[in-house]
Amino acid sequence: MSVWGALAGGFAGTLVLTTALRAGNELNLTRIDLPFLLGTAFTSDRTRAKALGYVLHFLMGLVFALVYYAVFVAIGHSGWGLGAIAGLVHGLFSGSALVDTLLPLVHPRMGTSATAAPSVALLEPPGFMMLNYGVQTPLVSLAAHVAYGTLVGGFIGLAG
Amino acid sequence: MRTGGYADIRDYAVIGDGRAAALVARDGAIDWLCMPDLDSPSVFGALLDAERGGSFQLCPSVPHSVERRYRPGTNVLETTFHTQDGAVRVVDAMTTTGPGLAPLRELARRVEGLSGEVPLTWRVEPRFGYAERKTRIERRLGVPVATAAAAALAVQCWNAPESGHEEAAIAGRIDVRAGESALIALAMADREPLVLSSREEVEARIEATARAWAQWSAGREYAGAWQGAVLRSALALKLLVHAPSGAVAAAATTSLPEEIGGERNWDYRFCWVRDSAFTLGAFLGLGCGADARAYFWWLMQASQLTHPRLRVLYGLDGGAHAPERLLTLGGYRGSSPVRVGNAAASQVQLDTYGELLQTAWLYAAAGHRIDADVGQRLAEIADLVCRLWRLPDAGIWEVRSVPRHFTQSKMMCWVALDRARDLAERGLIPDRHAQRWRQEATLIEEFVETQCFSPEKRSYVRHAGSGELDASLLLGVLMSYGAPTSDRWSGTVEALRRELRDGPFVRRYSGEDGLGGSEGAFLACSFWLAEALARSGRVEDAAALMDELVGLANDVGLYAEEIDPATGAFLGNLPQGLSHLALISAALAIDGAADR
Repeated sequence: MSVWGALAGGFAGTLVLTTALRAGNELNLTRIDLPFLLGTAFTSDRTRAKALGYVLHFLMGLVFALVYYAVFVAIGHSGWGLGAIAGLVHGLFSGSALVDTLLPLVHPRMGTSATAAPSVALLEPPGFMMLNYGVQTPLVSLAAHVAYGTLVGGFIGLAG
Repeated sequence: MRTGGYADIRDYAVIGDGRAAALVARDGAIDWLCMPDLDSPSVFGALLDAERGGSFQLCPSVPHSVERRYRPGTNVLETTFHTQDGAVRVVDAMTTTGPGLAPLRELARRVEGLSGEVPLTWRVEPRFGYAERKTRIERRLGVPVATAAAAALAVQCWNAPESGHEEAAIAGRIDVRAGESALIALAMADREPLVLSSREEVEARIEATARAWAQWSAGREYAGAWQGAVLRSALALKLLVHAPSGAVAAAATTSLPEEIGGERNWDYRFCWVRDSAFTLGAFLGLGCGADARAYFWWLMQASQLTHPRLRVLYGLDGGAHAPERLLTLGGYRGSSPVRVGNAAASQVQLDTYGELLQTAWLYAAAGHRIDADVGQRLAEIADLVCRLWRLPDAGIWEVRSVPRHFTQSKMMCWVALDRARDLAERGLIPDRHAQRWRQEATLIEEFVETQCFSPEKRSYVRHAGSGELDASLLLGVLMSYGAPTSDRWSGTVEALRRELRDGPFVRRYSGEDGLGGSEGAFLACSFWLAEALARSGRVEDAAALMDELVGLANDVGLYAEEIDPATGAFLGNLPQGLSHLALISAALAIDGAADR
């Protein structure tokens, strides 16, 4: 196991995750757009938001890969299968706590259950497992995260 | 007044944002809106199925009269309802610019109390995907949101209380007194989260949008006799421009019928090469240099995919395929089938080559640069015309009968080679085959003059060997095939006036076209006749006809494709780009001829 393996896996995994979510868009399965969600935390300009969002998304992909690495070092095991399981857990966590609960609390342009009628422009909140963005969203998101985890776990294992 | 749930086509105004366009009826209903783009599936489609299509209704709940206009120089619509107890104005806009994080698409309707007190009702019935997708209505942050697959539409209202939502509809009522206002905004999203705005932001975007339109209008250069009509036509055209690519759709709708109850119902949400020379000429003539550049480069980019052959039409994104399919919608007043896509895309239409070379010639004549690779492609297209012009084709009217040697197609092949020769002589395109272009142009001219002219009628005819007439022959005058004052052209114009004209109305052609039923008078042909008269020196006749034609627009200055000479009813898709392009071209030509 090595940090470089984790970073390489994080890069490849984020590429696949982003592509999978975009494919979900094109197939009319979901309205999830993580770069847009991330970028609009910093700017109201749509174009800049998406560009910035992609950068942030890739950085987060690398950060999460390092978290995976820390967990694998701690338990002394890594590999494709373990990565897939970690990706599933990651996807469930993202859809429930991270994006549903935490993101609206820190995102200046996202509504929460505590928000009244909008006084500033608000992004539609994602809801549990991001179901507000389409009933197929959890499936698309989980599949994308499992792919991400598989690649990160596999790359960490290969680099060992 | 509606018949069977359908407003007259003449009753519609259009608003848009350079990507999507909505049709607003005189009674305040929005019966057509495709989302996210003009050529996307409809979310409001009552225009083509009053029961199932979906709409956004907003009107007084008591008897009323209506007057409306566009805010001067803008595509912001103002509909004023007068009742016994007061008056209200509804301001409709699709916002294009302004503060804040804006929704992907936003349609705003502001109700302003002018006098007394007026009760209104409103009802939003979204039906996604041409009403083929199941619509769910939920709430986000207290706002009703309609969703289907990856599309969503939120209904935000201020001072317009929602009375609840029933099955796939959101409704409410508004009581407006003088000096008060209410606002309903539709925020739309496609494959991304919705954005919900504050009232202040929506209001600011309406005003910013109006200012942006007015600023654009102030930059237009025409100041002739028909200034109002020309500016409205330019604004209507601007709504047909697909801003992301520069393509110009032929119309904002599909399948509005050329005959009520008939089968001549086509999807016009594509960009026709046929319209390219008029489009570029209008942009250049009105001082829209940026639009002209964007359009020319879009055209050359789209046609690169099929080079050197041209498709009859291209998608707004430049795609070359437009597979035709039938929808389950009932059709405007029962006029079925309702089509999306257009099978004409794969026809052979030789006139398109002339239109493209004429477009490039106009572009160069206006001082724009033609890059070497584009010049090479234009030369190769001219070479192709040398090989193709002897073939029969479907002609400019896209007839679905057997291919013919249509005269106008041959004339446009001559135009293609003549313009290529001129561009080559000026060093703008390679001249290796210029001698062959000259020789073939001479052969085309011989064919037209011997096979496509009737000494009995003293007129060019519809196709080689026929005795039928065709108003598209007028394009020969407009595109300078021969001298417009020649005996042959004078005779042709007279024959067309005699056989196809009825007052200001001109039918497209005599003879069959492979389809059942009939159609109305084709408005562009009337404008072509006016322009042909001007170019042949009959400026007073041209101006008189132009005055009549300008009077045929609907109450907000828009034209459909056709008009019923008997009733004045509009027929076909709306707003029709070619009708407005022909109006602009005729106005510029008549003013130019008058100045000379």
